[in-house]
Amino acid sequence: MNNEMTLSFVAIEENEALARMAMTCFITPLDPTIEEISEFKTIVSEAVTNAIIHGYECDGTSLVTIHARIDEKKVSMTVQDEGAGILNLTEAMEPMYTTRPHMERSGMGFTIMESFSDNLSVESAVGSGTIVKFEKQFSPVTETSRMR
Amino acid sequence: MANIEIAENGILVVTLYGELDNHEANGIRTHISSAIYAGQVRAVIWNLERLGFMDSAGIGLILGRMRDLVPLGGETLILNPSATMEKIFSFSGLEKNIRHCTVEEAIGEMGGVLHEQ
Repeated sequence: MNNEMTLSFVAIEENEALARMAMTCFITPLDPTIEEISEFKTIVSEAVTNAIIHGYECDGTSLVTIHARIDEKKVSMTVQDEGAGILNLTEAMEPMYTTRPHMERSGMGFTIMESFSDNLSVESAVGSGTIVKFEKQFSPVTETSRMR
Repeated sequence: MANIEIAENGILVVTLYGELDNHEANGIRTHISSAIYAGQVRAVIWNLERLGFMDSAGIGLILGRMRDLVPLGGETLILNPSATMEKIFSFSGLEKNIRHCTVEEAIGEMGGVLHEQ
């Protein structure tokens, strides 16, 4: 089954849950396992939270845009903001690195996204924003996976 | 959503429900910190059995409370995370704090006295 969607929402923290819920509904027809759904939701949550907090500092007016496509059992997704951008991408992607320790950001977002997705890439420019792209391959539906 | 209670011997039991993301963590952080400081707490048990989802905000919340506990010499145990949460904890070196057991058993491990209900 193939499908495609775009969703935009303003940068407020409440929309972290909105993005997870919308994306969970979008991938449901792929008949994912519980663990696949929860890993996918985690990637979406990390990318969207980064855009809302770091990209836009929760400004409540700028838009985060999610685009997703399903090709057979593969989901390709982008999470895009036109906000602050990342000064040093290599540093930002290191485990435990955060620019917001006082907000108790753990600095584990990119590590988690890389581990749970396939082919994660990040493009960013200071002052013009960030695009996080990733794919996730879902397991084929078998009699065993149906029984889980 | 978080349910916070002090068990015997200064052990704080935090039971989390629903979805723990950045927004939720910001809502419950101060309640948990206040309970730690107000209650002579020496250890925290996080019961994640009823938690449906957690991202890296959960790591920030738990590591932050571990820092609150440092002056009190406190211990931390994380109970019954899902398979995905367990991976997230292991990325941050918290796998040694994970147990798959009941709250009562965790209290026992920490040397608390368990009273009959």
